[in-house]
Amino acid sequence: MISSLTKLLTIRNLVSGLFLLLAGSCSRIDHKQSALDPKGLVSQNQYDVFMLSVWITIFLFCTVGGCLLYVLWRYRAKNAEEAKEIPPQSHGNSMVETGLIIASSIILVILAVPTLQGVVLLNRVPDANDSETLEKLGLDRSQIDGAITVNVTGKRFFWVFEYPQFGIVTANELVFPATKAVRINLRTEDVIHSFWVPKLAGKMDLMPGQENFMWFIADQKKILGETDVATAMPAVHDGTMRSKVFAKQKFSDEFEPVGGLFYGQCAEFCGNSHAYMSFRALAQTDEDFDLWVKRFQNAQNPNLQTKLYDPKSSYNKNSFVSFADNKLGSGANREYRSVRKISPGQSPQVAPGAWEKAHSDDYEIGKQLFSSLQCVQCHAVNRTGLGAKGPNLTLYGLRTSLAAGWMRNDEESLSKWLKNSNEIKFGNLMWNGEGIDDRHPLRNLQDDDQKVNQLIAYLLGQS
Amino acid sequence: MATESIKYLAPNTENKVKTQVFPRPGQHTTGLVDWLTTIDHKKIGLMYGMTALFFLIVGGIEALLIRSQLWDHNMDVLTNREYNQMFTMHGTTMVFLVIMPLSAAFFNFIMPLQIGARDVAFPRMNALSLWCFVGGGLILNLSWFFTGGSPAIGWFGYAPLTDTRFAEVIGDMGPDFWIFSLQILGIASLLASFNFITTIINMRAPGMTMMRLPVFTWMTLIVSFLIILAFPAITIALVELMFDRTFGTNFFDFLEGGKPHLWQHLFWIFGHPEVYILILPAMGIVSEVIPVFSRKPLFGYGLVIFSGAIIGFMGFAVWSHHMFTTGMGVVATSAFAMLTMLIAIPTGVKIFNWIGTMWGGRIRFDTPMLFALGFITMFMIGGFTGIMHSSVPIDAQHQDSYFVVAHFHYVLIGGALFGLFCGFYFWLPKMTGRMMNEKLGKFVFTLMFLGFNLTFFPMHYLGMIGQPRRTHTYNEGHGFETWNQIATIGAFILGVGIVIGIYQFVSSFFNKKLKPAGKNPWDARTLEWALSSPVKEYNFARTPIIKARDQAWENNYGPRENHSEKEPLDDHGVHMPDRSWWPLVTALGLFGLAMGMLFHRTIDPSGELVRDYTVPILAGSVAIIGMIMWALEGPGGYHLFPKENEE
Repeated sequence: MISSLTKLLTIRNLVSGLFLLLAGSCSRIDHKQSALDPKGLVSQNQYDVFMLSVWITIFLFCTVGGCLLYVLWRYRAKNAEEAKEIPPQSHGNSMVETGLIIASSIILVILAVPTLQGVVLLNRVPDANDSETLEKLGLDRSQIDGAITVNVTGKRFFWVFEYPQFGIVTANELVFPATKAVRINLRTEDVIHSFWVPKLAGKMDLMPGQENFMWFIADQKKILGETDVATAMPAVHDGTMRSKVFAKQKFSDEFEPVGGLFYGQCAEFCGNSHAYMSFRALAQTDEDFDLWVKRFQNAQNPNLQTKLYDPKSSYNKNSFVSFADNKLGSGANREYRSVRKISPGQSPQVAPGAWEKAHSDDYEIGKQLFSSLQCVQCHAVNRTGLGAKGPNLTLYGLRTSLAAGWMRNDEESLSKWLKNSNEIKFGNLMWNGEGIDDRHPLRNLQDDDQKVNQLIAYLLGQS
Repeated sequence: MATESIKYLAPNTENKVKTQVFPRPGQHTTGLVDWLTTIDHKKIGLMYGMTALFFLIVGGIEALLIRSQLWDHNMDVLTNREYNQMFTMHGTTMVFLVIMPLSAAFFNFIMPLQIGARDVAFPRMNALSLWCFVGGGLILNLSWFFTGGSPAIGWFGYAPLTDTRFAEVIGDMGPDFWIFSLQILGIASLLASFNFITTIINMRAPGMTMMRLPVFTWMTLIVSFLIILAFPAITIALVELMFDRTFGTNFFDFLEGGKPHLWQHLFWIFGHPEVYILILPAMGIVSEVIPVFSRKPLFGYGLVIFSGAIIGFMGFAVWSHHMFTTGMGVVATSAFAMLTMLIAIPTGVKIFNWIGTMWGGRIRFDTPMLFALGFITMFMIGGFTGIMHSSVPIDAQHQDSYFVVAHFHYVLIGGALFGLFCGFYFWLPKMTGRMMNEKLGKFVFTLMFLGFNLTFFPMHYLGMIGQPRRTHTYNEGHGFETWNQIATIGAFILGVGIVIGIYQFVSSFFNKKLKPAGKNPWDARTLEWALSSPVKEYNFARTPIIKARDQAWENNYGPRENHSEKEPLDDHGVHMPDRSWWPLVTALGLFGLAMGMLFHRTIDPSGELVRDYTVPILAGSVAIIGMIMWALEGPGGYHLFPKENEE
């Protein structure tokens, strides 16, 4: 008796515990990649239509289900005799049937109208001259006029983001101004991918041999919520975003305290590592976005790359030159920064006091390793490096994530990644790509902490 | 034996010689030979059913492996490639090797009984259909053992992922196995469908007008038409893909000017009718079961059938709603959205009519009825989420997320599989002559219903909070863990339910302790219940003359003039055809042809690609010889003389 009672109690505890767990898990719906927490115009529209359909279907389910339950209860055979009775053998009622058909058609119209409006909205950026529509959508003309364009190229298994207006390229982290419309042109170089940032817009496939289009515009008010710009949208260009994200949140936290950080993922099966093909989108104020663009343009401008020291020219303060430093190895160059105005002939060797080392030794050695370990075959950093096979690593130190949004971009993760990326993302092409086997230097970094640390110093030093 | 028989002596003995040269296995064939050579629609139906149940277990194990891998973030039960192979094989198996053949099993077994026919129109073709199905299932699952293992392309094999250019294992043969297996399965489906259509049009008993046909037979007819109209599209798509992969053509290779979009259109103009091919048989079964357990005729019989036909017809006009996110433009997208919404109306009509049938009835809650009610509620949820997806803005978020996974499992398990289990619990007593244990049946229903909802309802939420489908793992920090764990627990409960159910079905054939069923244990309505259980080899001793819809019910409760009559006895008896080896031989030939094509390429020591067509040609010849012998083997057969009152 007592034992069965305790048993009952434990089961009850278990059930209520499970219930609490579920309720707790349900109470917040702003998970990192949640479509239930729209932060943009298009996604808000999609959410609204969805909620409309949810209420319609709940109404229908309750009505039809209620009828069903009523019928089952009312007309159940209560005993064996009743189960043998023969009820009136009616064959149907055309009035009832016609009525139900008409009623269901009306309900469909309720859903059809916002559907058609939504189709237009998600396919077309509103015309800047169409003030009526803009007003209805709550947009300002400048938000459309100042739209930026991003060419998104999907590759197995990462994303290339190219800004044709600014002539810059980055990968896996899409930086965009929070108040401006963002036009996205979608292309792929291999199989079909699908670009999905649930909080900003739905998804659109990247079809081979075809350019698809989608657009979104974030809602700055929703991003900010009850916080201010400094908390929700820290600047990317000076590394504030990265440090704030790292300071505020453990990687495993379910909810993102930095409102301007959005998560996205490839949504069309594209091969072995499809699950790993995620990305991030970072919202910025207009000023911060402009500054970020500037930094990128400078970093990727071939004319602004550090040049070899020229004894015939003079240099302003804070100029960068590249000059031999045998401490790094024979024939190796190091970057120097002038601390004052330099007249011709005052090379770092001749006038060591006029120059200072621009980077640590580890950085400089890491930079050499980046070439000698063949990283450059696939990755481009600034204008250094040949490759476009892998993600572009320009200003890599500003990124919040590593390995196509899979890990936090800090020393610890980067070290794990460099030592054995296959353990983290099984089948990734950095480890398994064409021409990479056990002889490849990358595969031999496992026990070489020093080299790994030097590479990290170089990569994260790009900021 | 209650029957005696004589060897058939044809009055015109011209082709008797040929009959002697290639004798067909005769009346007294038993054991393995009997099963291999049978052309009896009931035995073929049983073999269809049992093979499909076997594949249900195979596909179920694949599903459970998938669920185990998703138990927590970054699990390594399976590698990513293994996982991708698992969901490809799970999808292909469940669609082509489980739901379709289970429906075909009921078509085979029940439909001729419902229309008062001796057998289907082309019994040997029926056998060929069965052996092609077995061969196709075998080819698909053989892929595990060859280069690259099973295909990892998803069940709709989107180009250009299927292109050799993007193979992730050198010389990957998985997609080739997939292509050839689907082709052979297509042959099986087409043969069966032509057969069923001919049977229903031509072999109805006198008085069995079209508007007296049981609803299940109507659905058989509609589904058969869907199959013969939909399968050519995928056959062409697969041929093109096979050419791309084997002979280097450029149908889908975009780098050479091919069009990956083309594959999607071809696939889905097959694939969407396919959805109705999977669900309409279950709807037919449920439309039979609900009237029986409410003791009332189907409410709005004409409208239910008409809705079925409309669903089938419109099924060909909505395929692009699978492609809303592929960039089809505003107009095409809107048009397909509206058409898709329209299809909700005939579907709703069916649900209204089932409820209308129960209204005013005397409802009994036996196991088949429970499954039918489970079908209605679960299918309703699946249908509602379907309406959501017809709305493009919603679909832009739902497409390729777990929400869609939830949706189609509600339709295909909550709908199709529950409907088919309903059919098993309803008709197995007719097949075995024994009643199954009600308590165990209800236990199976409870497990399946609970497990199913526990598995798939949370997936709606998972999709909404951003879990994409077909991802072998997910990162920590997305909040996916709890719900995935609930889903995994549910999947195992569902699995246990299904296994117990299958055990119950199979054991009812052998367990002599079960209660005998008698002619009409459920007091059911349609013609097959006027026969003894299990049904005799010859079905109807004398062809019935039909006087009403729901003939079995009318015979028991209807007015005198509605009682069926029988055609008069004659001294000629019931002519039974002999068995035949040739369907099996032909199917073996086709199997060999497919396997030969799979392995016709080798690389010789100098690195040259060598094509050797010896095996395909030989195997193809076997198939052709099989067909010729089939034509030449002559009618054969024997006569049975059932006693006066036997059925």
